[in-house]
Amino acid sequence: MSITLLRGAIVLLMLTVAAGVSARKLWRVYRLIRLGDGPVPLQPIGRRLSHLVIEVIGHTKVFRRFSSGLLHLFIFWGFLVLLSTIIQVFGEAFVPGWTLPVIGREPWFVLLQDVFIVLVLIGVAMALYLRLVVRPWRLVTQDQFGAYLILGFITGIMTSLLLSRATGIALGHAGWAGGAIVSRAVAGWFEGISTPVIRGVFEAAWWVHIGIVLYFLTWIPEGKHLHLITLGPNVYFQKARPRGALAAVDIETAERLGASRAEDFTWKDNLDVFACMECGRCTEVCPASNTGKELDPRRLHTDLRKQLTAVGAQLLAEVPPDEIKRPALVGEVFSEAFLWQCLSCGACVEECPAGNDHIDKIVGMRRHLVMEEARLPENMEQALRSMEARGHPFRGAAVTRTAWTAGVQVKRLDQGATAEWLLWVGCAAALNERNHPSMRALVSLLHAAGMDFGILGDAEVCTGDPARRIGNEYLFQTMAKQNIATLGRFGVRRIVTICPHCYNTFKNEYPQFGGQYEVWHHTQLLARLLEEGRLRPNGSLRTAVTFHDPCYLGRHNGEYDAPRRVLGAIPGISTVEMAQCRDKAFCCGAGGGLYWFEDRTGERVSHARTRHVAATGAQIVATACPFCTLMLEDAAAATNATARPVDIAELLAQSMGPGA
Amino acid sequence: MDTIVCLKQVVDPELPQWDFAIDPATKRQVRMGKPLVISTYDENALELALQLKEKTGGKVTALTLGPQGEVKDAVRLALAMGADEAVVIDDPQSPQRLAADKASVLAAAIKRIGRFDLVLTGCESADWVERAMAPFLAEALGAACVTFISRAESRDGALSVRRTSEEGFQTVDVRLPAVLSVTSDEAIRPRLPKVKDIMAAMRKPVANWTRADLGAEDAGGAKGVEVKDVSIPERTTKVEFLEGEPAEQAEALVARLRALKIL
Ligand code: SF4
Ligand code: SF4
Repeated sequence: MSITLLRGAIVLLMLTVAAGVSARKLWRVYRLIRLGDGPVPLQPIGRRLSHLVIEVIGHTKVFRRFSSGLLHLFIFWGFLVLLSTIIQVFGEAFVPGWTLPVIGREPWFVLLQDVFIVLVLIGVAMALYLRLVVRPWRLVTQDQFGAYLILGFITGIMTSLLLSRATGIALGHAGWAGGAIVSRAVAGWFEGISTPVIRGVFEAAWWVHIGIVLYFLTWIPEGKHLHLITLGPNVYFQKARPRGALAAVDIETAERLGASRAEDFTWKDNLDVFACMECGRCTEVCPASNTGKELDPRRLHTDLRKQLTAVGAQLLAEVPPDEIKRPALVGEVFSEAFLWQCLSCGACVEECPAGNDHIDKIVGMRRHLVMEEARLPENMEQALRSMEARGHPFRGAAVTRTAWTAGVQVKRLDQGATAEWLLWVGCAAALNERNHPSMRALVSLLHAAGMDFGILGDAEVCTGDPARRIGNEYLFQTMAKQNIATLGRFGVRRIVTICPHCYNTFKNEYPQFGGQYEVWHHTQLLARLLEEGRLRPNGSLRTAVTFHDPCYLGRHNGEYDAPRRVLGAIPGISTVEMAQCRDKAFCCGAGGGLYWFEDRTGERVSHARTRHVAATGAQIVATACPFCTLMLEDAAAATNATARPVDIAELLAQSMGPGA
Repeated sequence: MDTIVCLKQVVDPELPQWDFAIDPATKRQVRMGKPLVISTYDENALELALQLKEKTGGKVTALTLGPQGEVKDAVRLALAMGADEAVVIDDPQSPQRLAADKASVLAAAIKRIGRFDLVLTGCESADWVERAMAPFLAEALGAACVTFISRAESRDGALSVRRTSEEGFQTVDVRLPAVLSVTSDEAIRPRLPKVKDIMAAMRKPVANWTRADLGAEDAGGAKGVEVKDVSIPERTTKVEFLEGEPAEQAEALVARLRALKIL
């Protein structure tokens, strides 16, 4: 048997074994993922593919940390380009000196391969620097061993590749080497060394290369490296519903409400946990984690993966349900505190390079707690009871829903008036006196611009948003349907609201139940009115302002500019941005129903936000959400901060001069 | 232990003060457009009934008297919390009536329901605070009566209850059947229904009776008690400035507070 044939046979055997092992592991992961249910959204192909290209190939999310982004880009693109060399090396096992047809011997392509060998090695060096010297929290808390092992593998693959290329050139059997400037330079080191030695090095490098590549192949389907395979599909299948919308549950037919077992999540949630690369970016930005709470969105994924793997193995082995060994997912794996600390602020979702959705999973478990077990923090329970009894979550409110209209001219649709626009006040603005000046300012501005609008007055009832975020989908749907009926009765088509939570619910969630409206946030409408010249601010405010992005306007609905355009139109205002602004903004502490429940562990989220404000030196923190105003007001008072919150509408109204 | 719980629906007592209004014609609180809730202590009574049922078995019936269209939410909540069935006595005039008047109708309904070991009411309603319903019912039913109880324990067919009085707690053994009025206790926290209980409540039986069904025709006018007048207490604020140096002011302040019997 010739040497080539023997070599080919051995490589083939190794390849078959490695591919077999890898395929078996992957098949298992696939079956674990499919333990979850839910639709498989293939459409719209175009949009999904473009996401894939932008986020995966373009690394947009990864680049939110520049140096990590760059090093990962080197390694990832290197992986794509050098797939060609790996194929070639395997080809060589059968046909010595084999290269890819067509491009394999093109000088530019060979150069490209060489360049990427170097870039990948640079990437590895950067990664080592990051891990050993910079040591960011998110990396030192990771599975360090696995990370170093993979860096070792990559280094091994690259150096063995480079060596085999260089020795091949030195041996003179590389007719393709024209463009390989790096490999040729390395080949220079072998000048004057005897041919058998070079041949020995060549053989050794070649086998080491194949060996590591194949071992790596069997290792990918485990742990965080699985993201090499799962991340693409995970980004492709990312949820089509708007970011701010939670999925609706069919209460009547659902067998179990919410998730309390590893297999209760959707298949996409399961894919999420297998796509998580444990990078910790979510936890790094999470306001709860950042203020010393137990919630840790990375652990949400890593622990769910462990549970799904352990419990799923038993399910796949058809162990009878009552014999399955498992800790309680809700209460043990994730404590109730862990689940109640989430602000649904979306910072984690925005950051996650794998395209994971953390909020869905947390709300899923909250749904179990609230709807199946009726277990939730006392104040949240009171808020929900109040929504049922009084139509608003503010138990003990000292004012009525229309108290703010005293002395203000505003049409009442509930008293027979008609108007083109519905001004939806929302409970947070109506039932808390602190927000009444904002409402009065907004009304004066709308009058000044000649808008035809009216309010629902006593017919307005909470949109149900707090119930949905707290996990009471049943109450949410009841209130949504009731509101949709009310809005239909008054013929409402266009809504403007001061509350980003109401805005999000109308815009993104009511369509799930047939309520379709044109919905504007007040800052969007004010920006428009300013641009149309229907509002002309003249007085100068002469003050430094920083803007606090509400999560449900910014991250959940992508509106970062309208409020800034309004501020920019006010003469005399100078704006300073916080380090955590726009899509990196930090929640005020009220999201996710947490206005009604604040975990006292660690620092208060609102106090942390007040520190961010103070760091800008601004005199005023401009707000665009009545919840943010309430939270930041309390926090400023409690921490003796100088910058107090003022709604953008109020700032604009102040600059309109008297009579506006 | 079979228990009947009397539930009254009242205007949400937590409404902001300035949302409270009195209709001069009826001399009663304005109900129109205001949220209605189960009166606080009545909800406690229901919770206690459910806790007793969990320990000793039996059936819990929710009984309410009110304008039929208005009480649906209260009845549904009671059933969702765990009452087995509900009886509604339709009486559009009920918000105008006082305890003495209503007790006879409720007693007639209880007799018609038939078997019971216990009747529970709240110790007082959140609107009129008469505190009289339990004794009236006990008299009409010929049953024992203990008011202001905060705990109840069943022991071999008899019941031991803890009564809150001005001096402290009294432990009373009660012979059944009995009527008890319930106050509050940390162990009595009205439960939040689970969604499956809310769904199940939609299928639980609700009987709708009228006063006529009970032979309690409306005689018109109140029995025994008449409301002459009602008014909202006026609150006034007066500001006084005390002159002098801080030490003198302090002395003057103490003297004033003593005079006002605050100190
Ligand atoms: S939504 Fe916000 S609070 Fe919740 S886990 Fe994500 S970052 Fe943390
Ligand atoms: S969930 Fe996303 S952001 Fe969080 S650790 Fe996993 S991959 Fe990173």
